Amino acid sequence: MGKTLFEKIWESHVVVERQSGPSLIYVDRHLIHEVTSPQAFDGLRLNNRKVRRPDLTIATMDHNVPTNDRSLPILDQTSAIQIQTLEKNCRDFGIKLFDINSPNQGIVHVIGPQLGITLPGSTIVCGDSHTSTHGAFGALALGIGTSDVEHVLASQTLWLEKPMPFEIRIEGKRKNPHAVTAKDIILSVIKYIGTGGGTGTVIEYRGDGITDLSMEQRMTICNMSIEAGARAGLIAPDEKTYDYLRHREYTPKNYESLVDSWRNNLKTDHDAKFGKQFLLHIDDIAPQVSWGTNPGMTCDVTDAVPSPDEFSKGDPNQKKGAQKALDYMNLKPGTHIEDIKIDRVFIGSCTNARLEDLIEASKVIKGQKISPHVRAMVVPGSQMVKKQAEEMGLDKIFIDANFEWREAGCSMCLGMNPDILSPGERCASTSNRNFEGRQGTGGRTHLVSPVMAAAAAIKGHFVDVRKMDLS
Amino acid sequence: MKGNIIKYAQDNVDTDVIIPGQYLKVHDYAELATHAMEGLDPDFHSKVKEGDFILSGKNFGCGSSREHAPIALSYSGIKAVLALSFARIFYRNAVDGAFLLPIEIEQDAYDAISEGDEIDIDIATNEIKNLTKNQTYKMKPFSEIIGKIISAGGLFKYKPDQD
Repeated sequence: MGKTLFEKIWESHVVVERQSGPSLIYVDRHLIHEVTSPQAFDGLRLNNRKVRRPDLTIATMDHNVPTNDRSLPILDQTSAIQIQTLEKNCRDFGIKLFDINSPNQGIVHVIGPQLGITLPGSTIVCGDSHTSTHGAFGALALGIGTSDVEHVLASQTLWLEKPMPFEIRIEGKRKNPHAVTAKDIILSVIKYIGTGGGTGTVIEYRGDGITDLSMEQRMTICNMSIEAGARAGLIAPDEKTYDYLRHREYTPKNYESLVDSWRNNLKTDHDAKFGKQFLLHIDDIAPQVSWGTNPGMTCDVTDAVPSPDEFSKGDPNQKKGAQKALDYMNLKPGTHIEDIKIDRVFIGSCTNARLEDLIEASKVIKGQKISPHVRAMVVPGSQMVKKQAEEMGLDKIFIDANFEWREAGCSMCLGMNPDILSPGERCASTSNRNFEGRQGTGGRTHLVSPVMAAAAAIKGHFVDVRKMDLS
Repeated sequence: MKGNIIKYAQDNVDTDVIIPGQYLKVHDYAELATHAMEGLDPDFHSKVKEGDFILSGKNFGCGSSREHAPIALSYSGIKAVLALSFARIFYRNAVDGAFLLPIEIEQDAYDAISEGDEIDIDIATNEIKNLTKNQTYKMKPFSEIIGKIISAGGLFKYKPDQD
């Protein structure tokens, strides 16, 4: 019987295999950041251990860096300490760090691919659940906790029970690919399979709806695999993948011979079997807007907020959850999504802050002003994205429309730095989680694509971006 | 292992309500514990007692990979979370650091056990006894390796080559 892409990567990285239980898996790249690594380094020191492969470990600071003027000192003392601690740890253990002043600084999942550190067929781990992003390159990329970060620092390996391969097939052609985006595809998937639909699996996204996407769009898809509960999500590499990674700063010197081998090996065999399957036709999907407090609570922009009965389909906990979500979001069932007014717009995060996201959003706002009641910000995913966008003049388009144009970081995606919502504020956000309090205590998050966020900024409420001129 | 139940009768208790993002900068675990469950239940810190258990629905601990989530619960005194299912990274983090026992229960236990009930968990027999209601329920057994890591007191104390 044939093998899935996931199984092939798995088998080529097994160090120790047991008859039952987890296998020991070799880790090709370990990405670290300031928030989930300090205790891991403390553990190494306590036990007199070294970092086994500092050359395969790469660090940046993203979660709590300020996104305003970087020439100023960091006011939040606890953030400053976490940042200084990462600097010291990287110095002491010989790890390459892209610090706050580096032109390569940025969200760890944006810079990995941009620098050519993310490679097809490799295993990548990071103490962050959105590590699944790197799966867009045909890598097995897993989010891990701090104990596992310490284990990988010390041993370059990870104990892992083999997840089940899950095929999600995306078929068809979007009628307006500028208005209906990768974000709308993945939000649709999560809407149908639920936030636990991928638990214990590694998703492989397949079909012409996936191969049609650019690399940056594929990253948006794989990024949100964790929101369906999956261990990882991946997409088989193709010529787009190889072209994207060619000539990057850390692209391996023997790249072309690697590509030859990847072309032959990194695909799911025709007769391979998946443990689970799901099919989505995307010909007629609409832009998506989340209305609740998890990413599965999502509907079409043309729909109305569902009632708890409609949403739950008889499941009492789902019904209770929907009611609680409506209370928190201060929404009434039957309210048309396009009638929901917003206070804030956040274009950023590892889901949607790459160059293409900013280009698409800029087309929506060019020559217009944001609604006077809205405060909007763009936080590029990396300093490289910011620089490229500025070279294209995108910063001027955003600033002319009254957007704030910021420095790179995770920012308002998770509310660790000063970029947060005030209680009760409602935000159209291109990030990945709409959990209660995620963007600040009492803040209300609606997950949308960059073009939908940009359109909402102009109108002051959600609007079907398919009705706007995006040429 | 005996303790009293704090029940959150819902699915998808996520890591951002277990420990909101702004506290991920806190390195003192005792201080971190004062903010546990703050996003869902602001009274949690005042009502939780050493040895208590949390009971909840499906997909407990979904979201972030922050190990701060099981740590904050553990340092609040929580010894076990009983849930219909767990998000995998939370489950793994809980076991890795031996912070608390993630116990998968069946619907009967979820429905029958109420807030405040005194529960006795026996991982040798995979039984949960409700001492308040005089009932017994089955729990899903830990896989062999998880059982060994828990018995050893966490990932770094477990020595696989001594198996």
